[in-house]
Amino acid sequence: MNSDSKKELGVGIFFLVLSVAYMIGTTTISTFTPFGNRGLDSRSIPLLIGILTVIMSSIQIISILVKEHKMKIVSSEQVSDETEEVCDPDEIACVEPPKGTIIQRIDNVVPVKLVLSMLFLMIYIAAYQRVGFILSSIFFLMAESFLLVRDEERKKWRIFIILFSIGASVIIYFVFTKYLSLFLPRGILG
Amino acid sequence: MFELILSGYAAVFADPMSIGMVFLGVMVGIIFGALPGLTVVAGLSMFLPVTYVMASNVGLSMLTAIYIGGTSGGLISAILLNIPGTPASIATTFEGAPMAKNGLAGKALGLGVFASLVGTLIGVAVMTLLSPTLALLTLKFGPWEYFTVTFFALTLISALTGKSIVKGLLSALFGMMFATIGLSPIDSARRYTFGSLQLTSGFHLLVVLVGLYAISEVLSAASSKRPPVKVLSYKMKGLGFSAKDLKGNWINLIRSSLVGLGIGILPGIGGSTSNIIAYSVSKNASKHPEKYGTGIPDGIIASESSNNASIGGAMIPLLTLGIPGDGATAILLGGFMLHGMVPGPLLFQQNGDLIYNIFGSMLLATVFVAILMWAGMRMFVKILKVPTHILVPLIVVLCSIGAYALGNRVFDMWGLLLFGVIGLLMSRFKIPVPPFILGFILEGALETNLRRGLEYSNGNFWEVFTRPISSMFLILTLLSLATTLYKQYRSAKRAKGA
Repeated sequence: MNSDSKKELGVGIFFLVLSVAYMIGTTTISTFTPFGNRGLDSRSIPLLIGILTVIMSSIQIISILVKEHKMKIVSSEQVSDETEEVCDPDEIACVEPPKGTIIQRIDNVVPVKLVLSMLFLMIYIAAYQRVGFILSSIFFLMAESFLLVRDEERKKWRIFIILFSIGASVIIYFVFTKYLSLFLPRGILG
Repeated sequence: MFELILSGYAAVFADPMSIGMVFLGVMVGIIFGALPGLTVVAGLSMFLPVTYVMASNVGLSMLTAIYIGGTSGGLISAILLNIPGTPASIATTFEGAPMAKNGLAGKALGLGVFASLVGTLIGVAVMTLLSPTLALLTLKFGPWEYFTVTFFALTLISALTGKSIVKGLLSALFGMMFATIGLSPIDSARRYTFGSLQLTSGFHLLVVLVGLYAISEVLSAASSKRPPVKVLSYKMKGLGFSAKDLKGNWINLIRSSLVGLGIGILPGIGGSTSNIIAYSVSKNASKHPEKYGTGIPDGIIASESSNNASIGGAMIPLLTLGIPGDGATAILLGGFMLHGMVPGPLLFQQNGDLIYNIFGSMLLATVFVAILMWAGMRMFVKILKVPTHILVPLIVVLCSIGAYALGNRVFDMWGLLLFGVIGLLMSRFKIPVPPFILGFILEGALETNLRRGLEYSNGNFWEVFTRPISSMFLILTLLSLATTLYKQYRSAKRAKGA
């Protein structure tokens, strides 16, 4: 099975599991029918959504499995016809040896910058209320900008990023709170 | 009606604040449209909190100006970088980049701006004339009509976006699942709240939209390894083109605008698809199809007029039915809601003056786009060099303000992150996002009207078939599904044959 088919199968399985969990969740929904049952209650639509998702995800899974089965038959016929040795992609020996450093290899599977971006965003959100808008934004702008800038240009941009992060956070805070009358948390600067 | 149109237009031109915000919106839009990796939806998400405190007409005018500017701005990077600034200008790269390489970048830019101007004007004109009439018609809709029209919109978008109808429908159902979190319509029963007070009010539409479109874009920018861009040089004198360049292209211009308009009206598709379809139609109708791809004006005119005409088209279902035509109009729907208005048939009756005011500002924005792009092209080209490592974090900070300001709660910011990750995963697994958005937006209307319809008819579902409008929409639903399934079957067969 190639990686595209694996992805497609994964989509089907994810939605199947999700829909089952979602349908189990409908049992906790309370229903009210004060004027008698003249149609649907608050549980009916979620149940219908769950059933439709089960059907669609099953179609997705079955269609991928059928497609894979057909491809296997075709490829096995081709293998028997050909005399030369055909490499099975599932065999470990066929997998190209990984290239680059350990960091680069990890980055190919899970992009390090993406994971760090999400981590910075989580810290930013967690600190937003407690630490306050200005300090948390300075941290986030600085951390994210340093993360995204190309390695060879990091030194060149260093001063600008620091000044920009501080300046932008302070200006945004004052523009939004003083001129646009929005509330932003002051936090420890309060 | 014409009096209202005229007074609405006059109100815009008499209000310096409106003019200023439309100008600013157009500038922001062009910049976001021009910068590859940042879309007009990100621009709209970023500037939404700025409009919170503005008067409704000014705030919404600014948002529509960003939408118009962003759709046109995509042509700059499409021609000078060979990278479409927005998905709406993909087809512009087919001819624009070869023209730029042949030393005709100025002409390509000039023609693109002109086609954008004509396309937007046609779209805005049709929207101004058609929307009020359609709104009057939809006033007669009852629960069954609303149920069937929302059902039609949902199936249509699921069928038309992406390659797989199954994945499209799964995406729509996924969006509907999130919409059921909170209190149910009609009887306010708690659903999937897990005892959390925060979840009782469910996820706000803007949190979902900004998360799915803007935050996922930011996360995807963090994970992509884009090489540094190289801007091609250009020379542009006057408008960049002469009347001779338009010879033989007027029919192409009008036809492509109409294609864009028609596709824009269909829910969830918009300019990102219309430019490619208009380009193919133009190529098929051309006397010299072999020249397409080598750098000829016809393709640029087709692409740019159609994507801009889609703006007016996409606004029609939004204003008359509350169904967004594309991602940008979904954000606009959120903008309307923030300003206390619910797009739909009653909008014209309750806020007629404001709507015509917005129409007027759209016309003004169209003119500003053309003037700014012709006169300030040098400045926008310089902005192409602004590094994303400065812009991307700034977008996150501004989007977070927008989410936080909805209810002064950090919960909505966590929602942004959640939907950002969902959006990123959906794009990685090639699950189309528009059906998710429409599923989320329309679930409430679908459920409310279905339940209401069944209550009126004492639980008899068959009544839906006895009403002409609802029957018509059910037939259209079946037809769209059958057509898509047939097309998928044919393309699968063709692929097998090849």
